Amino acid sequence: MADHPANGLDDVVHQRVRLGIMTIAHQARQVEFGFLRTALQLTAGNLGQHLTVLEKAELITIEKGYEGKRPRTWVTLTAAGRAALRDEIAHLKQLIQQVEYAETAEPREGSVDRT
Amino acid sequence: MTHGSAPQADTPHELLATVRDLTRQVRVAQRGTWFPLLVFATVALVAIPVYRYGPYLDLFHTCRSGDDQMVCSGENPTELGYWTVALVLAYAAIAAFYVKRSRRRGVGTPIRPYVIVGIALAVLMAAVSIWLTFHPLLPVPADPFATDVVEIKAGLAAQLIYGLASPMAVIGLALLVLAWVERHWALLAYSVVYLVIVAIMGAQVIHSASRWFFLPHLLVPAALLLLGAAVFALVRPTPEGQA
Repeated sequence: MADHPANGLDDVVHQRVRLGIMTIAHQARQVEFGFLRTALQLTAGNLGQHLTVLEKAELITIEKGYEGKRPRTWVTLTAAGRAALRDEIAHLKQLIQQVEYAETAEPREGSVDRT
Repeated sequence: MTHGSAPQADTPHELLATVRDLTRQVRVAQRGTWFPLLVFATVALVAIPVYRYGPYLDLFHTCRSGDDQMVCSGENPTELGYWTVALVLAYAAIAAFYVKRSRRRGVGTPIRPYVIVGIALAVLMAAVSIWLTFHPLLPVPADPFATDVVEIKAGLAAQLIYGLASPMAVIGLALLVLAWVERHWALLAYSVVYLVIVAIMGAQVIHSASRWFFLPHLLVPAALLLLGAAVFALVRPTPEGQA
């Protein structure tokens, strides 16, 4: 029997905010802390916690610098991060397919019983 | 799934919807379509005085003198030089614009493929133009000083090669890459329409003794580019509004 797609989900990535961070970082190549905070509507502290989790898992790299006198924090997805994001999306799609297949299969089984 | 503080009740449908929404939001924030169009419209308009007043530099020795006139075949090297330099500078300006904008907005931009393809096409345009000067694909009149109007028929292959030598077509081809980079369907549709109009214009031969005969070939694409720049600047959605 094939492994259930839910077993392939990575706990670090399978979380709405972190999935959002990785999606934005993937699309943008490099994204600044302020853009992430606005796009995900998070407090700085909350976003910082999620970034730490992702950085510890080596899914992102964090680079701190200055733009003029303003401190800036740039987030970049690592190769492992790109692969993890790709896997997560693939697993989510598989889960949806399985649920939809189960929903369409049930009525058919019922009609067989009636005949 | 115990890492985050956010609730874990999101279904796969909701998570994928979030991914799609955020992707769209980032793409909108990355787009700066109006700027390249404005730059190329400016380059086309600046070309008008170059075409009208630029001297014919006979670098490739294609000019033949008659009694009191001189006939030159092939593209004016002054114009070719102008387009090559102007296009490369335009792409440098576009790259600088996108990089500065991405730093200001805090979101990176994948503009590099567009700039690389654009510069490569500009160099290819110059190379093809020079090659065509020595290997014309269209029939050359036996008497270059004849004033009779000759109908020129070019095959599809010849039209494609001459298209690669046309700065306006080269701008349009690179815009297709920008449409892909920005995942911008409206820009893709605009680029196709632009290329069709430029191709139709390029197939028209203007028989005129006026020194301004070239104006439609520059003004029509410039107007199209200006119009596109204005429309894309006016109708761009705000990134926050897409969330």
